Amino acid sequence: MDMLNTFQQHQHAALPRANHDERARQEFTKSLKQFVQQGLLPGLGPVFQNRAAKAFEKVHGRAPADRWDIRKAMVPDLYFQHYAATNRIAQEILWESVIGSIERQLPDLDAAVQSLAAASTGTVESSTDFAVPRYVSAIDIHCMPGGYAREADGDDIVAGALYDRGVYLYAMGYMGPNNDDMGRSVCNYVNRKLDGFKPTRILDMGCTVGHSTVPYKELFPGADVTGIDVGGPCVRYAHARAKALGHDVNFLQRNAEDTEFEPESFDLIVSHILLHETSGQAMPRVFRECHKLLKPGGYMIHADLPPFDLMDPFTQFILDNETYYNNEPFWGAMRDKDQIRMAADAGFPADSIRFDTAPMAIMEFAAADTSYTEDAAEALADREFTAGEYAPGGGWEVLIARKAA
Amino acid sequence: MRQLERNARGKRPNFYETPGMDDAMAMIMVLANELSVVRDRLDTVEKVAAAKGIMLDAEIEAFEPDQSVLEAREARRQDFLARLFYLARKQAAELATEDSAERYKAALDDIAVN
Repeated sequence: MDMLNTFQQHQHAALPRANHDERARQEFTKSLKQFVQQGLLPGLGPVFQNRAAKAFEKVHGRAPADRWDIRKAMVPDLYFQHYAATNRIAQEILWESVIGSIERQLPDLDAAVQSLAAASTGTVESSTDFAVPRYVSAIDIHCMPGGYAREADGDDIVAGALYDRGVYLYAMGYMGPNNDDMGRSVCNYVNRKLDGFKPTRILDMGCTVGHSTVPYKELFPGADVTGIDVGGPCVRYAHARAKALGHDVNFLQRNAEDTEFEPESFDLIVSHILLHETSGQAMPRVFRECHKLLKPGGYMIHADLPPFDLMDPFTQFILDNETYYNNEPFWGAMRDKDQIRMAADAGFPADSIRFDTAPMAIMEFAAADTSYTEDAAEALADREFTAGEYAPGGGWEVLIARKAA
Repeated sequence: MRQLERNARGKRPNFYETPGMDDAMAMIMVLANELSVVRDRLDTVEKVAAAKGIMLDAEIEAFEPDQSVLEAREARRQDFLARLFYLARKQAAELATEDSAERYKAALDDIAVN
């Protein structure tokens, strides 16, 4: 499927404002990612089958059997090298194109964020003394310079601003004009699939800039909604960003492993692409924390990566490239975890735990924004799952579990 | 102005076996990026002019370069190509003058003592 991607981000009041050339530079990185996905990625299959696998067999006397074998076969292949190098460079120049833009306008951006924060009735809480977990501070995840949590001072919002614009380009706009498709999709799932369950106290773990958090406030207007994240600059920016979109939401700098909330504080706890950015030890702790914080009958829903065991080795190999080439240390290992078992060990009744698909909310954007044409949105929603493309067509994988009533 | 962090922490992998190829590829992509920016900017110029009633796009298509324009452009293109291939020029010149690493080394030794 080749679609012309003209998706444009909604310019809210906290978002950095790119000048003409900065915007063109940023647009190019989005185009380059789209090209890698549509123009280079499809060639990997035939390159593997007809060249790399044969070369591997000559050396090893057998066909590549698993994703590690396939990796060994592909890494020396020039086509793969061009694919992987270009993908990596696209990621690097993407961040570069946004950082320069932010640097130029930082005083204005700081002022905009401060005035939005002052107008919000939502709580914001952060401290430069906060202990950032090692799995976030050791390397800058998905190559974002500075990572989520490094800050110049207690007012720094750069990481938030950088993520908000950068992740839009990274996702090539697939998450909608406000980057909120995942949150929206899970909200729809709650509304349509959970037998009339109406959450009143909602926690979003690892919320970054609150792009997935805000839809909960929008779709459950009476609910008290809180986002937590280990990045101080992220929660400060998130708080202002929510206000820019017309919502008063609480954003606190907390660790999802040990949130310091009272037990049974929430009836819905969600996360969106959080788990694969934690660690082997942190992930079960997050599940246990969810169980502790939920009221009886409350739901835990994590939208993240589907496990490897359901995919063929070539698909696994393609997906695992993120681990090696995009500073995603837990990406591959997380997919090997038995998440169902982990949820059971955390205390959730076995018959309440399952994987499901939350359909993408992308079609809703086609009605709301001119750059999201009906055709392009449809093309996105109707895609077959293709490893290496951003986001599966159709929907997000969710792990869902319900605390005993 | 506050200088923001430009480097992501985490060792960068190399993708090519040839030393320097990763650097060259990154530079090519940055140049492609800037070329794309210039094309977009030119397009904006045309669109802005059109909004003021000047149809630059059509004017550009209708434009017939006269002899002096043809000469200036050809000179600019040849100059550009010469710069693009400056290493080829240098290599050819070395071969023509029998310049070599040996001669360079000999010059160092000679100049050190004489």
